[in-house]
Amino acid sequence: MTQQKLKIIGERVNPGFRSTKALFDNSDIDGIQLLAKKQQDAGADYININIGSRALTDIGFMADVIKGIQDAVDIPLSFDFPSFDVQKICLETYDQDKAGGQKPIINSISEHREDMMDALSIRPSKVIIMASERLEDGAGKANKKAEEVYGVARRLSERLIDKFNLDRDDIIIDISITTLASDTEGLIRMALDGMALIHNDSDLKGVHMIGGISNVGMMLPKKAVDGSPLKNSIERAFTTLACPQGFDMVLGTPWHDYSPLQEDHFVLNKFKEIIDLKGLDALRALRSLYKL
Amino acid sequence: MSTERKTLINYIVEMAEDEANALARKMLDNGYDPLELLSHCREAMDIVGSRYEQGEYFLPELMMAGEMLNDISGIAKPLIQHAGGEEKKKSLGTIVLGTVYGDLHDIGKNIVTFMLEINGYEVIDLGIDVPIAEFISAIEEHEPQVVALSGFLTLAFDSMKETVEAITAAGLRNKVKIMIGGGQVDEAIMFHTGADAFGLNALTAVSLCKGWMGEEATT
Repeated sequence: MTQQKLKIIGERVNPGFRSTKALFDNSDIDGIQLLAKKQQDAGADYININIGSRALTDIGFMADVIKGIQDAVDIPLSFDFPSFDVQKICLETYDQDKAGGQKPIINSISEHREDMMDALSIRPSKVIIMASERLEDGAGKANKKAEEVYGVARRLSERLIDKFNLDRDDIIIDISITTLASDTEGLIRMALDGMALIHNDSDLKGVHMIGGISNVGMMLPKKAVDGSPLKNSIERAFTTLACPQGFDMVLGTPWHDYSPLQEDHFVLNKFKEIIDLKGLDALRALRSLYKL
Repeated sequence: MSTERKTLINYIVEMAEDEANALARKMLDNGYDPLELLSHCREAMDIVGSRYEQGEYFLPELMMAGEMLNDISGIAKPLIQHAGGEEKKKSLGTIVLGTVYGDLHDIGKNIVTFMLEINGYEVIDLGIDVPIAEFISAIEEHEPQVVALSGFLTLAFDSMKETVEAITAAGLRNKVKIMIGGGQVDEAIMFHTGADAFGLNALTAVSLCKGWMGEEATT
């Protein structure tokens, strides 16, 4: 199968990774720069920046991290914090010239945080929109159906295009990839079907679709029963099914392999089976991936 | 250890859900004390939990064991109530728990709920994306000793802070201990939110509650 190369937003500048947390704890800007550079060298198209809780308690540190990273890499950045105030600091600190004139990414806006769209007045940016939750009766609700994912993607995209004059190329829809190990409600199936609906909507032609790929294979053992590396095979099983539906970007680790699996791959075939199941049936099938 | 007890624990630990269910039902049909049966389930869960901690078991096993326990509890609990509401007496304390507003994650919260319940606490689970007012009214209604705020997204930190502030404003803060968990919580976030403690996993949540409310002396 020929496939367009996935664009990668490097995910490693995030205290969720233990080694990165140590860099943040020590305010080690040199180490953070090296980590950003390593991601660019491995093929990252963007560097995502998530400094965790410190964004709330020490906003100056966020600016230091952005400046430090921009001294080390010449690719654009993605700012991962769902707050207007934090995005404001990020967008004001960002030096577009150092990224070859490329716009940053606001990561992310959801239907119940539409006010964050105002951050677009600070500087032109690309926007990641969250399609996994919707606004209903004034509150955010988790989507459970592909039609709901598609509905949110369409409403938010329309708003960004009509009200904020965004190009479709600047809209990135996060279809939200659930952890397979806990997906007893068919949420991965929902994401894939939602993607297909978005992909087939001519009004949305040109928008991008992304997901945090590292989630999908989490909390499982290292090896599948066939000896293949389980986490990465699950990630690749997901991209194998998602890319034909228009999935063209990942938030992931640039030195990991996200290429499609062969059609007869054991993990791919199990993955297909699991995502069509729910409840204990899904867990039982999942267990057969790593337990004889 | 009686054979039935040993076998039931073994079935749960080894993920033999059909066998575990059938045996539990048979034991209860034969007049086995439902509370004692549930305490065997807790023993089994302790083993599953420790295998999980040691990297021998993974999230699916935790969830499967949880489902098995739910099923068995479903059969056993009506019998306990029938026997005179002893279960209520057994509760070591009450915890009001929920994922704060703006955040929809529930896996961690569900595991914490489950671990607290099998350790003898009564958990009022308010669900996900819980409005502040709902926490307040649940505290007023259930008078818990502990409030547990869960959140995975970074935006949850502000929701947690606002929830704690509202609990204070409602005059309820000195009546409850507040613990936070989920995602990337740490000491800085604990101070930011005004909580009393934080936990990185469900076992810490149980330890915190044991510290605050005590634990059963015997099993």
